[in-house]
Formats: sequence, structure tokens, C-alpha cells
Amino acid sequence: MAAYILRRVLQAIPIVIGVAVVAFFIVRLAPGSPVDKFRGGRVSPAVIENIIKLYQLDQPLPNQLWSWITTFPQVWRPDAWGYSFTDGKPVLYDLGNKIPPTLLLMGTSLVLTAIISIPLGILGAVKQYSRSDKVITILATIGYAMPTFWLGFMLRTVFGANLKWFPLFGAQTLGQSGLNVPDLLWHLVLPVTTLTIVAVAGWSRYMRSSMLEVLRQDYVRTARAKGLSNNRVVYRHALRNALIPIVTLFGLSIPALLSGAAVTESVYSWPGLGYLAVDAVRTRDYPIVLAFVMIGAIMVILGNLIADILYAFVDPRIKY
Amino acid sequence: MTSLTPTLSASSNGTLLEVKNLRTHFRTRDGVVKAVDGVSFSIPDGKTLGVVGESGCGKSITALSIMRLIERPGRIVEGEISLSGKNLVTATDEEIRDIRGNAISMIFQEPMTSLNPVFTCGDQIAETVALHAHVSDKEAMERAIEMLDAVGIPDARRRASEYPHQLSGGMRQRVMIAMALSTNPSLLIADEPTTALDVTIQAQILELMKALRDRNKMAIMLITHDLGVVAEMADEIVVMYAGKVVEKSDAITVYERPHHPYSKGLLASIPRLGEHRKRLEVISGVVPNPLNLPEGCLFKRRCPYAMPICDTAPPLQQVAPNQLSRCWLTPDGSAPAVGPDASGDIALDAAAKLSVES
Ligand SMILES: Nc1ncnc2c1ncn2[C@@H]1O[C@H](COP(=O)(O)OP(=O)(O)O)[C@@H](O)[C@H]1O
Ligand code: SF4
Ligand SMILES: [Mg+2]
Repeated sequence: MAAYILRRVLQAIPIVIGVAVVAFFIVRLAPGSPVDKFRGGRVSPAVIENIIKLYQLDQPLPNQLWSWITTFPQVWRPDAWGYSFTDGKPVLYDLGNKIPPTLLLMGTSLVLTAIISIPLGILGAVKQYSRSDKVITILATIGYAMPTFWLGFMLRTVFGANLKWFPLFGAQTLGQSGLNVPDLLWHLVLPVTTLTIVAVAGWSRYMRSSMLEVLRQDYVRTARAKGLSNNRVVYRHALRNALIPIVTLFGLSIPALLSGAAVTESVYSWPGLGYLAVDAVRTRDYPIVLAFVMIGAIMVILGNLIADILYAFVDPRIKY
Repeated sequence: MTSLTPTLSASSNGTLLEVKNLRTHFRTRDGVVKAVDGVSFSIPDGKTLGVVGESGCGKSITALSIMRLIERPGRIVEGEISLSGKNLVTATDEEIRDIRGNAISMIFQEPMTSLNPVFTCGDQIAETVALHAHVSDKEAMERAIEMLDAVGIPDARRRASEYPHQLSGGMRQRVMIAMALSTNPSLLIADEPTTALDVTIQAQILELMKALRDRNKMAIMLITHDLGVVAEMADEIVVMYAGKVVEKSDAITVYERPHHPYSKGLLASIPRLGEHRKRLEVISGVVPNPLNLPEGCLFKRRCPYAMPICDTAPPLQQVAPNQLSRCWLTPDGSAPAVGPDASGDIALDAAAKLSVES
């Protein structure tokens, strides 16, 4: 297993470099320039020229690409991913600040999603076409149809602006310093709820269909023929098999979760990666956008690896 | 070594299982499928009943009805199934769970998919033992290893810790047999246990079942679409066609003097030694659509002896001592005395003179 993981990590290196090149061009091909926001204002053309020189934007494209490709792997240097155009700080420093809130948001939502959607899926499958199954199906369809940003705004309007139960934005009350856990959790409620509702809608469906598939299998009939109780058949014999595709899908969906988090973070001004990235696209902060694309790509590779590892873990037929 | 103690009920030679007028129907969108429609038979203690018929004739549904494993949209709509006097049709779920895998065990056609892929073979056998014998997990596992040894799996202790995918089809069927017999059932239902296996493995599995039957003194309901398979194992044979019993007799009689034209067809289609299995080439035509069964004798569209009288459904009647057949032909196999133009009523009168079972 360790050898397998090492091999997969080594295989990922050329992919990451490829992504770095493609990302570089995508960002460059986007219309507009980072100095656009200074033009037409009070900033003199000489200053703009200086900025262009400072950030090497006057260099030929191949040179810019080369300097990006050769420096980005040196992540131990704070300036390896360049400096943000907007706040002038090293990109890696900004990322370091923004990743923990995003992980907190994604992680909490993931755990809640699993806790809620797995039992809902089992219930829907075991009691297929019953009233509870139909109610779950209708709710899931509604949840699935709601865009994340719309749901976010709705929850924010109702529970934040109108009822004032939860804060409207941010991760902590203004003017606070240091870590205040209850305050943080209080700020976490609405963004996590938004992400979780959307995720549960999808995952409870996957779980239901996976469980239905397994309940049709011959070995489930064998388990019943042994005289096992229905609970034991469902929770011991069927569930472990039904979780195999779910666990795999879970690894593969990690990147999608990141983009869901980006939308949610923007709605609630949650100080995470997604919020940073959306802001950076608006202000054409190339280094940050580039960093976000890179992180997205790394998440895809990592998600695939996690999926494969989890797969081997839950399915004895898989050996690496 | 193994401690395969004979079951207590096997000591008396009474009736172990009695199925009376069993009807199991499926309510589908297109109509009611009468998968099992008025089937009766009984299995004495320690005896082997062969249930034979083409695919789709209701053999598995009969077996699953006995185990009460019929799932929607199927339902036992009528009949009685009694195991040592206890009616399984009306038993509570709890009572049935106590019987399944304990007094009655079942093995299935597909050894490749009948074991759970995520548990070891040992675990799956031990689970049954622990459930019914109420012993500790450790004792149950020891018993599982003993059973694997008893069904001829070499290196049983190591095999017990392996997963099903690590074993061949024949080995997996042995594991299924070990699991089924781990609780010393008084009845083993084997639903086409060798159909999915290749010929040499088939013979080995049948030999194994015979040896274990004699050792355990258990009754077997052996289901197959191949009369050849039950030849040396069964005491009694039931031939099924389209959800009904068409012939019932002791095994030797079916082989030597089959009465029903369908049984004759099945017999003619037994592959000869060394030859590859040809499925019922001798009987022309196809099994009738269960949603569109013919009037009268269900076999008439394929029967080489069909005559006008066959538009009336024949009863299951005695044609020889210990031989019942659902066919209008006379006991010696000729057309009824009343002639080929006989009306249904005259034939029924003639039939009434014979002893009629159903
Ligand atoms: N779930 C089901 N829905 C509708 N019909 C069914 C279902 N299961 C079995 N049947 C019907 O029951 C009949 C008998 O099936 P089965 O007992 O499996 O045959 P076999 O003799 O090959 O074991 C078949 O005609 C089949 O169409
Ligand atoms: S009743 Fe008639 S059709 Fe049916 S099996 Fe006998 S001879 Fe053939
Ligand atoms: Mg069958």
C-alpha cells in the first residue's frame, strides 16, 4: 500500500506541472489586465509602468511562464507562488490564512452530510415507495434543484437579517481578537447549513440507489436464508457493500465540494479560500487566481488518490 | 475432526415437510403471474425429493415459499406448508427466522454471488452457528473451520480467513454447503446447486451432498432442470411444468416408465456421459408465457400426443401405484378409451373412475 501511494504521488508530479502550464495560459488569456483598475484614475502612467516592471508583466510570455514553472514547486519559500497584486503579501501566506477556515467549513459540512444522508438513504431504500421514502425523495429533489447561492441568500435573509438568530457575515464578531470557539460556531451555522442541505440532497439519493442495488444481490438473500434479523441483514450485510461506491464517490467529489464552498463563502463573506478566489478573479489578482486553480487541480489528484485508498480499505477484493 | 451428529427428528420416519396446494402469485403490472399454482408434495424424514422442470416452471419460487423468502410483488396466496406439523405460512416472522438456516437450510444456484464479498468465509459460516447454536464467537469459528474441513476444503483454517473472491466457484459452493449444514438442519433445500459449475465439479458436489446426507440423516429437496442430476440421489421425484406438478412418483418409476409426455421429453434430453449439456432439445416449443397460459392442459402446444380432449385441464391422477400424472393419456400411455374426439366431460368421467388427487 505504501509503495502504491508513493507511485501515485510520483505519477501526479507531471500532471501538476501540466496543470501549472495550462492554468498560467488560462489566466493570461482572460480579458483585462491587473493594472486596469489603476487606469483612468489618479494614478499616473509612470507609476503604472513601474508596477508593470515590478511584477515583470513586461517580460515576454515564455519568460513569465518559465519563472512560474521553476519557482512554484519551492513551496518552502514564502514567495514561491509570488505576491498578491492587491495586498502585496506572499500568496502562500494568504493561502495559509485562508485554508483553515475553508477546511473547517468543508469538514463540518462533510461530517454532517454523512451523518444525515446515509441513514436517509438506507431508510429510503429499505422502505422503498413508502410514505417516508416519498417525502425524502421530494425534499431531496427540492434541495437538489436549489442553487447554492440562492439557498445561501435565503437562509441569510431569513435567519440572519430578519430573525437575527445568526450573524450575516464573517467568521467572528468584529473587534474580537484571538480564538473564541462559541462565537466561531455561531458564525459557522448558516454557511454549514447551506452547504449541507445541498450535499444531503445529492448524497441521500446516491446512498438510496446504492442500497437498493445491494438489497437485490444474491448474498442478501443468503443472509436472510440464514435466519438473520432484518436489521442485521441491512446494517451488517448490505450496508458495508452499499458504502463501497459511496466512499469512492466521496473522494471524487472533494473538488466539487471546494467550489460549493467558494459560492457559500462569498455569500457569507467567510474568510476562506473560495472567498479569496472569487475576489481575486474580480480584481484580476493573477497570482491568487493561479494559486486557486493549482489548489483545485491538487484537490482533484488528491481526491482520486483518497478514493482509491478508501476503496481498498472498504473492499477486500481490491489490493494494490 | 467433525462432529456431525444426526438430527433428532431423523430417527422417526414420519413426514418432515408437507406442502399442500401451495399457490404463490406475483401481481405485476401486466397481470397475475401464477408462479406456483396448486403444488402439493411431501418429504419424509431423511429422504431426498427431486424437483425437476425447465427454467421458469416455479421450482425456485416453491423453495423460496417454503423459506418464506418471497418478496414483493410475490405472495403466498393459498396453501399450507408444514414442517413437523408447524404451518410455516402462518408462522410469525420471528418463528420463521428461527427455522431458516437452522431446521431448514438453503443453498443457491449461483455460488459466485451467493456469498457476501466483504466478509471472510469463516465469518459467514460462524455467523450462522453463533445465531442458532448460541455459542461464543470463538466456538462458532471453530465449528466453521470443522465444517469447511468436512466439505472437503483443504487447509480449512487458512481458507476460513479468506474472502469469497479468493475461492473458485466449486469451492464457494462447498462453503455454501458448509454454512447450510453447520446447524445440522433436518431439511436442506438445494436450488440447482451444480447448474453454474462445470461438469467435473458438478459430480464432486453431488458426491459431497450424498455423503453428507447419509452422515447427517437429513432430508434434501434437490431442485434441478436436469433429470440426470437427481437420478442417483432422489427417492421421490416431482416434475413441474408452468407452476404445476405434472408428474410425481418414486425416482425409479420416472426413469423406467415416465407417464407424462413432458417427463418423457425431459428424460430424452438427459445428456449422455461425457457429452456437453444440451438443454432440453428434445422438447419442441417454448415454455408458455405465464401471463398467457393455454386453456386446458398447459403442455398441449408442445405435446406430441395432444388431442381435442386436452382443451380441458387434466387432473393429477394415479396411473400406477405410487405414480401420479396430470395427463389424459391412459395409464399405459395410449389415448383415452373414449377416443380422440372425446369431449372434456366424458374424459372427466373416465378420470373420476381413477383415484384423483387434485
Ligand atoms: N419478481 C417476480 N415478478 C414476476 N414474476 C416472477 C418474479 N419472480 C419469479 N417470477 C415468475 O415465476 C415463475 C417461476 O420462477 P422460478 O421459480 O424462478 O423458476 P425456476 O423453475 O426456473 O426456478 C417464472 O415464470 C417467473 O416469471
Ligand atoms: S393432457 Fe394431452 S396435451 Fe397434456 S400432456 Fe397429456 S396428452 Fe399432452
Ligand atoms: Mg430457479
